[in-house]
Amino acid sequence: MSPAELVAVPDEPALGLAFRATARLVAVYERISAVSGRFRPEVVAVDRDLPAVVHSVRREADGVVGLELRPRDREHFPAWEPGCHLDLVLPSGAMRQYSLTGDPADLTSYRIAVRRIPGGGGGSIEAHGLAVGDAVVLRGPRNAFPFIEAPGYLFVAGGIGITPILPMIREAVARGDDWAFVYTGRSVTTMPFLAEVERLATEHPGRVYLRPDDLCGLPNAEDILAAAPPAATVYACGPPAMVDAIRAAVPSERVGSLHHERFSALPVRGGEPFTVRLHRSGRTVEVAGDETVLTALRREIPAIAYSCQQGFCGTCPVEVLAGTPIHRDRCLTDQQREHRLAVCVSRAEDELVLDL
Amino acid sequence: MKTPKRQEPAKVVLQARDVSWDWSGLPLRWIPGEPFASHLINVMHLLLPEGERWFVKVFSEALPLIKDDQLREEVIGFIGQEGMHASAHQGVQDYFSAHDLDTSTYVHEIEHVFGRLLDDRGLSGRRAEEWLIERLALVAGIEHLTAFLGNWVLNSPALDAAGADARMLDLLRWHGAEEVEHRAVAYDVYMHLDGRYSRRVRTYLVAVGYLGWLWIRGVRALMKADPGLGKKDKPRWRDLFRTKRRGTTPGYWDLISMSWRYLRPGYHPSHEGSTSQAVAYLATSPAALAAEQHGEA
Ligand SMILES: [Fe+2]
Ligand SMILES: [Fe+2]
Repeated sequence: MSPAELVAVPDEPALGLAFRATARLVAVYERISAVSGRFRPEVVAVDRDLPAVVHSVRREADGVVGLELRPRDREHFPAWEPGCHLDLVLPSGAMRQYSLTGDPADLTSYRIAVRRIPGGGGGSIEAHGLAVGDAVVLRGPRNAFPFIEAPGYLFVAGGIGITPILPMIREAVARGDDWAFVYTGRSVTTMPFLAEVERLATEHPGRVYLRPDDLCGLPNAEDILAAAPPAATVYACGPPAMVDAIRAAVPSERVGSLHHERFSALPVRGGEPFTVRLHRSGRTVEVAGDETVLTALRREIPAIAYSCQQGFCGTCPVEVLAGTPIHRDRCLTDQQREHRLAVCVSRAEDELVLDL
Repeated sequence: MKTPKRQEPAKVVLQARDVSWDWSGLPLRWIPGEPFASHLINVMHLLLPEGERWFVKVFSEALPLIKDDQLREEVIGFIGQEGMHASAHQGVQDYFSAHDLDTSTYVHEIEHVFGRLLDDRGLSGRRAEEWLIERLALVAGIEHLTAFLGNWVLNSPALDAAGADARMLDLLRWHGAEEVEHRAVAYDVYMHLDGRYSRRVRTYLVAVGYLGWLWIRGVRALMKADPGLGKKDKPRWRDLFRTKRRGTTPGYWDLISMSWRYLRPGYHPSHEGSTSQAVAYLATSPAALAAEQHGEA
C-alpha cells in the first residue's frame, strides 16, 4: 500500500438521484416554514409557581413536622395522584422536594411532612422553622412514583418514606383492592402518622405490620415480602438500603415487581470547589464542593441542555479548552474525553475553561 | 366490590434509563421464519440512531425558546430518553455490521438526511428560529408514530408466540414504553411554541410520508444485504397483510387510522397508549432492572 493510499479518506458513497432531488425540495420547504412562521402566534409564558401559605404545623413524630399548605392566589391547588411530590421553595430561596401525603380529593390544601436532617444542606431545618402564616412557593405537583393497576399490593415504608405511601393505601382501601402494609422505622417515636396507621390496623385486621427496629430487629427483605398478598406489586419508599434489599429479592414467589421513587441527581460527596471560565461569554462560575458543574452552569445559562444527571445519557458533554478534568461519566470514549466533559458528573482538579 | 379501572397517571416524571444489551448470538432474522417482519423492524436500528440523535439536537436547541418551567423539565427528560434510544439501536446496528450485514449505503443516506438536509442549514436569526420550530413540529408528528408503535409492541403477544429473540423484544418494549411515557412532550412543545392546526397537518404529512419512504428503502436495503436471503426474497407489499394477520407487525389499516387520529382537530397524545402499561413494563424490563442495579451500585 502506498503512503498516499494510507492517508486517503475513503470517498463517501454517492447518493442516489432521489436524495439530490430531496435536497432541492428541503430548500423550498425551509422557505415555506419561514413564510408560515411570520404568522406564528406569540409564545405565551406559563407561570407554574404556586404561592402558598403555611396553614397549620403539626408534630408527627420525633424530628418530623407535618405542614398543611393553602393557596394564596386561588381557591384550589392543581390536581394530583398518590405518588406525586412538590418543590417547596423556602423563604431563603432554598428548594426541597416533598411527597404529597394528604387527600387528593381535597384540593383546598396540600399536606407534606418534613424530617429534620441535621447537616442535610439546611433545607429541612429551615422547613422545620416554618410557622403558621409564613409564605412559601410551591411547584408541581409531579409524579415520579406512579401508582398503577395491579392484582394486589404490598406497601412498604421506612420512617418518613410513609408520606407517598399513605395516599396509595387510602386509595387501595377505597377501591377494595387486596393489600398489605409493612411499616418500619428506628422506633415508634420516630415513625410519623402512627395514629392513622394504627387505625388502619384496627379497621383492616391482618393487613398492617408495624416493625420498629428496636422491638423487631432490622428488617430483611424476605420477612417484608412474606406479608404480600398473592401476585402483588410492591410499592416501597424508605432508606436506600431497604429499597435495595427488596429490589434484590424481587421477583419472588409472591411478588411480581417493585415500584419505587426514582431520583435523577445523586448528592455530590467529597468534592473540591473550583472555578470554571466560560470562553464565549468571558464569565466565570464558581463550582462549590457539594454541587456539580452543571448546577453551577445553570445559574449562568438556565437553558443549558442536560438530562440524566448521572453521566450516561450523553446530552450534556461540552468542549473543554483548558484544565485538568476528572471524568466520572459513562458515555464518553477515551478519545472524546480528551476534549469533552460531561458536566453533570465530572469535575476538575483546578480551573477549567469550557467552550460556552 | 372492585371499582372500575384505576385512573391513569396524568403525567410521569421522565428519566432516562442506563440500559444495555449483549447481542452475541442474535440472528439477523430474530423472528424465526419471518424475514420480512424481522427486517421491517430492523429498519429501526439503521434509521433511529441518526434520527433520534437529531431529535436530541433539535430539542436541546429549543430549550431557550420554552417559556414554561414544567415543559422545560419534560423536554430535559425526553432528550435523555431519546439519546439512550439512539445508542441502544446503534448497538444493534454495530452488531449487524460486524456480522456480515453491510448496510453502509443506506446508513449513509440517513446520515445525509438528518445531518445535512435537516440540520440548521447555516441559517441565523428569525429564519433559524422558524426552521427550528418547523423541525420541532416534524418531530411532534413522528412522536405520534413512535407512540403508536410503542403501544403496538407492548401489546403484541404474537411476537412472543412466534419465538422472537427475548433481548430484542426487551429493547423494543423498553423503547416502546418510554415512547408511550413521553408521548405528549413533543406535541406539547409544538402547542406551546406555535399550536396552529394547519402547520400540525402539514408537518405530519411531510414527516410521516418521508419517513415511510425511508422505511421502505430500509427494508429493501436490509433484505438485499442479508447474506442468508436469496435474490427472490424481496419485500412485497402483500407481505404486510400476512404479518398483520399473524400479529408480528401492524397493518395498513392501523397506519391509516393512526394518521387519521393525529389529523383530527381534537387530538391529544394522551389518548394513544397507556402510561400505566408503560410504567408496568418498565418495572419488569430485564434491561431497565439491570440499569437500576448498576445505577445504585
Ligand atoms: Fe425514541
Ligand atoms: Fe420519542
